[in-house]
Amino acid sequence: MTDHNIDFSMVLASAVHDMKNSLGMLLNTLDELRTEHEESLSGSSKFNMLQYEAERMHNDLVQLLGIYRLGENNLSAHIDEHFVPDFLSEHMARHVPLLDGLGIDYAIEADDINGFFDDDLLTGVLNNTINNAIRYTKTRIRLTAREQDGYLVLGVEDDGTGYPESMQHTGTLSFKSLDFNSGSTSLGLFFASSVAKLHTEGDRTGSITLHNGGKYGGGVFEIWLP
Amino acid sequence: MNQTDRKDAINPFGKLNFLVVDDFENFRLSMRQMLRSCGADKIELVAHATPAIQYCTYNHVDVVLCDYNLGEGKNGQHILEELRHKKLLSRSSLFLMVTAETSKEMVMGAREYQPDAYLTKPLNRAMLEKRLGALVQQRGALLPITREMDRENYPEAISQCLQLLPKQPRYKTWLMKTLGELYFIVGDLSHALKVYDEVLAQRELSWARLGRCKVLLGNRNFDDSVEGLKALIAKHPDYMEAYDLLAEGLEKQGKAVQAQQILEKAAEHSPNALLRQKHLALLASTNQDIDTASQAWRQTVTLGTYSIHDNSDHYLSLAQSLSDLSEGHPEAEGAEHAAEALNVLSKMEKRFADDDSIGLKSRIVQCRVHAGQGNQKSAEKLLGDLRAELETLEDIPADLGLDYAKTLFRLGHDEDAKSLLSDLAARYGDNPETLQKIENLLDEPVGFRQKIEARGYNRDGIKAFESGDLDGAVEAFNRALAIVPDHAALNLNLIQVLLRKYDQAPDDHSLLTTCQECLRRLEGLPEQHRQHRRYSALARKLKGLTA
Repeated sequence: MTDHNIDFSMVLASAVHDMKNSLGMLLNTLDELRTEHEESLSGSSKFNMLQYEAERMHNDLVQLLGIYRLGENNLSAHIDEHFVPDFLSEHMARHVPLLDGLGIDYAIEADDINGFFDDDLLTGVLNNTINNAIRYTKTRIRLTAREQDGYLVLGVEDDGTGYPESMQHTGTLSFKSLDFNSGSTSLGLFFASSVAKLHTEGDRTGSITLHNGGKYGGGVFEIWLP
Repeated sequence: MNQTDRKDAINPFGKLNFLVVDDFENFRLSMRQMLRSCGADKIELVAHATPAIQYCTYNHVDVVLCDYNLGEGKNGQHILEELRHKKLLSRSSLFLMVTAETSKEMVMGAREYQPDAYLTKPLNRAMLEKRLGALVQQRGALLPITREMDRENYPEAISQCLQLLPKQPRYKTWLMKTLGELYFIVGDLSHALKVYDEVLAQRELSWARLGRCKVLLGNRNFDDSVEGLKALIAKHPDYMEAYDLLAEGLEKQGKAVQAQQILEKAAEHSPNALLRQKHLALLASTNQDIDTASQAWRQTVTLGTYSIHDNSDHYLSLAQSLSDLSEGHPEAEGAEHAAEALNVLSKMEKRFADDDSIGLKSRIVQCRVHAGQGNQKSAEKLLGDLRAELETLEDIPADLGLDYAKTLFRLGHDEDAKSLLSDLAARYGDNPETLQKIENLLDEPVGFRQKIEARGYNRDGIKAFESGDLDGAVEAFNRALAIVPDHAALNLNLIQVLLRKYDQAPDDHSLLTTCQECLRRLEGLPEQHRQHRRYSALARKLKGLTA
């Protein structure tokens, strides 16, 4: 006898959960390897590739789980007050081994401000965006934070060739905008946009923007939080 | 990066005692490696809960880095609860939970103790240094407050909070949260309310909304509290503490059924909080929903395996519920419940063998289980032993006595049960909660299925009476009384309907005779009984009519 009442999305979610934790172990081990064999590995492009791709998969799975919970109506933003410069430097720190390995410069330019946001959700967004910037930048990336028009604006900038015309936009993305035929599904952008939307204050809602330029003349990702 | 200014500053990790708890040796070693390269020196590594707790018992620890998932046995949350509960870790020490989860609520959902921070795997040295550095710096800045909290000198902790607020804008959230909690602890609800209102005036934050509702509940402003919590849950369906508080509020409003529904929803989202399951079990018992109660007690018992909150009462309550379910259900399902009840009791006797009264408590329930399955002989034999054992006790404690009386009723020894209960009532005259339980048992000394049936007839009777159908009301109350003949309120309900009938037909004296029969059943009603005033009023009225 077979049970036809399998909740497939639930099965997927627990499998994803498992894979995500395995990748976490893998990433830890990679970090250790890098420390133990610093001299031989520091410039190894293969090793950097390994770490970058593992990091990317990990981010994708984190986002997948987030989107699953979103669909289950089980995800809400637990907004709290955070000291923004600390928050940004903690997240930059996660990518330091890879950045150093790839020889990419990094900087944080944040005002000394407190911001209101859900740190778990923003962690997912920032990790993914930084990882993305690492892929497309030439020599450097920077994280920015400022207050503008009553919004907290967190930005990730690089000096790469920037976002293609078709991707540049302002506002929020819908699930329909995910294009599974092209190479990039924009899953990360959809997640970022969903996280932005979960942040509300009064009648104002968060959003993301993508454009080119910025201080480094490359891609600029910004998340605006009320 | 600005690594240089850190190196110039005094090494903040050097003086601190670290404890690392992780079941993987590789993780422990790499954590030590990372901590050392951050400047830490005193680092202890352990693999499991027992050595972790032991270490904290005999050593001062400043920072615990504990993995959540430790394989078989206690997990990180169990360790945190035990350390904080037994006060083996002071408030000024940091407990950091290391987890692979990106969302805290998903695994935790426990309401009593929360770690000072979550560190999410994968962790590397740079992250650890940043995060830990910030946390250690925060610990130092807040030390004047946490030190006073450790000394339970709350007024001084409050004044330290107030002093630091203008000086430490970076820790404003922590300070306001703690200030609200401290005011609540010392019972200064109006200042607590002010703290939360001040936060909410700036921004709608869920912790402040929850705190405000908690204060409203403390002020007995149930309606506003319940309304606020409902709105909070609508916005944050994953905010478990709001469910717990809402259930409390609904209970205080007398809406036990709704309260139970809220907790069921919460338990569905987050089934691993022992205290929530226990609360649900107690509520469901009050509501006579014994199926749900059994399930929740079962969970409470399971979750207790590694928890500091484990208690023999959970086992006993589970066995009692299962015994209730098994009664009058001699078929397969009843036998199954009966077998499980006996199994739970034997586990309880083994696990809590140090407790002298555990065997007695167990046999009182066993006796009922056997009787419920029609094994009158084994039941009577057990009862004989029980009697002998209980006679050696000087004063039977209330809960034990109540459960024993229940068994006596079930085995048909009603007079013994009643005399025991009146003895208890005399001894616990100043304890309204115990008196209430005694009254309930005297009113309804039957199984829960019959209780539910009788209560249904009572409701029908009241409805019929209210719509003017007096004959229907009499019939319904009589049906209920056939099940629970000594029920005080029910007898008085019937008298009231009969007297109304007598108003309409003053020649029918048989009505008054029936009334007198009902009154006679309540002759021994003690003065402190909730129905006593109504009883004497109706008795006087009847006397006037029959004189």
